[in-house]
Amino acid sequence: MRLRASQLTKDFGHRTIVKNATLSVHPGEVVTIFGPNGAGKTTLIKILATLLKPTSGKLEIEGADAISESSDVRSALGVVVHENLAYPAFSPYENLKFFGQMYGVKQLEHRVTTLLAEVGLQRFFHEPLHIFSRGMTQRFMIARALIHSPSVLLLDEPFSGLDASARQFVLNRITQEQQKGTGIIITTHNTELGHLAGTRFLFMINSELEEVAQKNEIEAETLLQTYEERLRNNAPKGL
Amino acid sequence: MKALRQIGALIRKDLGLQFRSKEALVLIFVFSVLVVLIFAFAFGPIFPERVERGKLTASVLWAAFVFAGIISLNRSFTLEHSHGALQGIRLTGVDASNLYLSKVVSNVVFLFLLEIVITPIALQFLDLLDVVTVGILLKLFGVLGIGTLGFCAVGVLLAGMSTSANGGESLLSVILLPLVIPIIVGGAKSTVSLLVTGGLEDGFWLKLIAGYSLIFLAAAYLLADAVVEE
Repeated sequence: MRLRASQLTKDFGHRTIVKNATLSVHPGEVVTIFGPNGAGKTTLIKILATLLKPTSGKLEIEGADAISESSDVRSALGVVVHENLAYPAFSPYENLKFFGQMYGVKQLEHRVTTLLAEVGLQRFFHEPLHIFSRGMTQRFMIARALIHSPSVLLLDEPFSGLDASARQFVLNRITQEQQKGTGIIITTHNTELGHLAGTRFLFMINSELEEVAQKNEIEAETLLQTYEERLRNNAPKGL
Repeated sequence: MKALRQIGALIRKDLGLQFRSKEALVLIFVFSVLVVLIFAFAFGPIFPERVERGKLTASVLWAAFVFAGIISLNRSFTLEHSHGALQGIRLTGVDASNLYLSKVVSNVVFLFLLEIVITPIALQFLDLLDVVTVGILLKLFGVLGIGTLGFCAVGVLLAGMSTSANGGESLLSVILLPLVIPIIVGGAKSTVSLLVTGGLEDGFWLKLIAGYSLIFLAAAYLLADAVVEE
């Protein structure tokens, strides 16, 4: 088991953002969590990434308690969230070199140049990140998340704001990592892409997680219909 | 080894970022020179006795460095928060205490380099450069260095807490200045003593800032985890 979360709850003041979330991810599995804006997906990802402490619940990463020993398990994680978690004044090369040194990556120079070539940023080695488009930034963020070859990948809305070629790139990269045995969790509100990328599906609506189906049990169209039905049933009255 | 490697990488990164932004460098340098010039023109061009000149120069130097230090600390942490880079660093599993130490070292180095440039300018404009020997100048840099260490030991901890909050930049000045009063007073008194007599008398003020700096450094090192994680 790469990651196991049970009964995770996160309250901000009187508001519960994540309610009793239970999920797990095995090696080579891609868990896709579908949910509308404000459902609590990003908060859940930040809890799984150990960047936020849950109010209650348990989280294990690679068998270790990720709440009490968060700094020990973090190097097992590769994380892509809305922010690029890097320095815009630095180039992708400088950023990856820095993060690689922090992780203690062996043969770092080779790893950085190979990874940047793999994500298609070889022409932008020495350009500062702040001039990058959304798609280029997303490519860099994926490279940053993979620099230390993590065993768990957490991707929050990885397809958001990308054109067709960038979306295809992200899909391909997810498949490559899956084949290496990485456990992957994706959040998205795009059922088509989420279905393509995932091997198991969950919904997160109104802060609650619901297990839906394995990929071989449900077609993309049925998944979309089920998702829309759940959204209608849970929509606030008057909408 | 792992800790040393991480601290080294963090210091190189911090200094790289500080020197990358020419606007910020110019802002801090011009601000410091401006403080020196305002005092020099307000009290000059005919300066009083060496005792009064020494007191004036000590005031000018410490006022310039404290405010430049606040700008530098704020900037140092704003860069970490603006695109979530601090979260990226936390994800590498670095110990929060080592993160704190690296920030103190990089800010001390940055401010000390500024002090090396600004101090001769201040001595020149306040008519003390001719009477200050190389030995006194080196002792003066020693005092400034210890004071800067204490200032950053307190400042990095507070900047870490305040810059993520709304209005963090002004908040830092409010909470930092009362806590660094012993360093400013001790530093200014030691500087006056050096510039007037060429020595540190019994060294009481220097011992005060050194002791205060070490106590704060140790306390903040232990508290860093709570500050970074929360």
